[in-house]
Amino acid sequence: MAFADNFNRFVLANLGPLFAGLWVTVYVCFWAFLLALVLGAVVCFIRLRIPLLKYVAIAYVEFFRATPILVQLLWVNYVWPEVFGFPNTVVGAGILALALQSSGYLAETFRAGFEGLPKGQREAADAIGISRWRTIWRVEVPQVALVVAPMVINQLAVVVKSSTLVSVIAIADLMYAGLKIVNQWYEPIEVLTTIALAYFVLIFAISGVANYAYVHFQTKFGLVAQR
Amino acid sequence: MSPALRQMLDPTLFWEYRAVLLQGLMQNLSIFAESAILATVPAAIVAVVQRGRIAPLRWIATGYTELCRNTPEYVLLVWVYFVLPLVISKVIGSRFRLDPHAAAVIGLGVAYSGFMAETLRAGLRSIHPGQAEAAAAIGMSPFKTLRRIILPQALRRILPDLVNQLVSLFKSTTIVSLITVQDIMYQVSMISVAEMRPIPLYTGAAVLYCVVIILATQLFQGLTERWRKRGWS
Repeated sequence: MAFADNFNRFVLANLGPLFAGLWVTVYVCFWAFLLALVLGAVVCFIRLRIPLLKYVAIAYVEFFRATPILVQLLWVNYVWPEVFGFPNTVVGAGILALALQSSGYLAETFRAGFEGLPKGQREAADAIGISRWRTIWRVEVPQVALVVAPMVINQLAVVVKSSTLVSVIAIADLMYAGLKIVNQWYEPIEVLTTIALAYFVLIFAISGVANYAYVHFQTKFGLVAQR
Repeated sequence: MSPALRQMLDPTLFWEYRAVLLQGLMQNLSIFAESAILATVPAAIVAVVQRGRIAPLRWIATGYTELCRNTPEYVLLVWVYFVLPLVISKVIGSRFRLDPHAAAVIGLGVAYSGFMAETLRAGLRSIHPGQAEAAAAIGMSPFKTLRRIILPQALRRILPDLVNQLVSLFKSTTIVSLITVQDIMYQVSMISVAEMRPIPLYTGAAVLYCVVIILATQLFQGLTERWRKRGWS
């Protein structure tokens, strides 16, 4: 069997580099997603509560949502170090670009969540004398978090998808490891198919969790996600 | 202002190469249009099959959409460009080649057909079954029911979603530069290697994309607003 032969030679023999690549993918996605959550929350807060800076936040969201991730990645990688002095490494640039892109989408998701909350919630909190910050933290955030959870998890799937592109700026992720083997042996079939399946399984699992969260929260708390 | 920042905001280099860059943008637009058209075919078939009665076909359709939706576009593109020609060559027994442009159209078309199928299916499902039953009761054929009753309503409902997907398809056309289609990002990389000045070019590309996408979205929404609202207000 030619296929099994090649599979042994190119995939199983290179499991070490491939798993190292997978680890880099996970590492990049984890930090990018974490940073995106923080940035998204901050931008959403500015967008909703701070009068003049609001327009900066709108421009930020629109800019990062309307530029393709590859353009963003190359821009952050080549331009930012010279203009702003950071990021200093390619991994930093990859994480930052992915985070900036996602933070734009997440800010909009959070905003939809907050705006979908009935006004009575805040008024009731006001009426029984809960302070402004405490209202946000103890009344609004827990409800919004449940409503937006499925979409936030979906955004993680998008981050993993986009993270395939960081191989372009020479971050040694799974895609990079695969393409390296392909360029070495000129036998793309087995390696690329394996990688495609690996990414599929990873992203499918994340979307599965998102779907589960959607159904679970909806039946348990009677929440309808804002779309 | 620091020199690097001034260089970043200086558009002259970008303007100097406008002819080449515009050619690249045209390449993007043609791939966008071709793959959008290509994507609607499997999307429509899958959406119809998933509403049908034959269970094995439904499973295949679901598998297809999940596979398309959950595989990264870049991986799919590279797979179509490198692996698909080899597989076809082995099957037909002679050498088969796929040029980068065709590979890009197929890759992106397949990737987005999954999203479109899902949207289309949601749209068809959102139309109350009573509509089709009423149409059947007054003697419309199934095809005419679809064309005159179901589709006009379903398309109006899914239009915003569809626009979002077309926008992300257009954004995804940037990655075709990675399989050596000479699109705008390819030209930008080439020029910045030749000129040794990446800052204004990459900034220009980012701003250009931002402007093109925001303008196109607004324009499209403005143009379809009347059609979408017709008979609804």
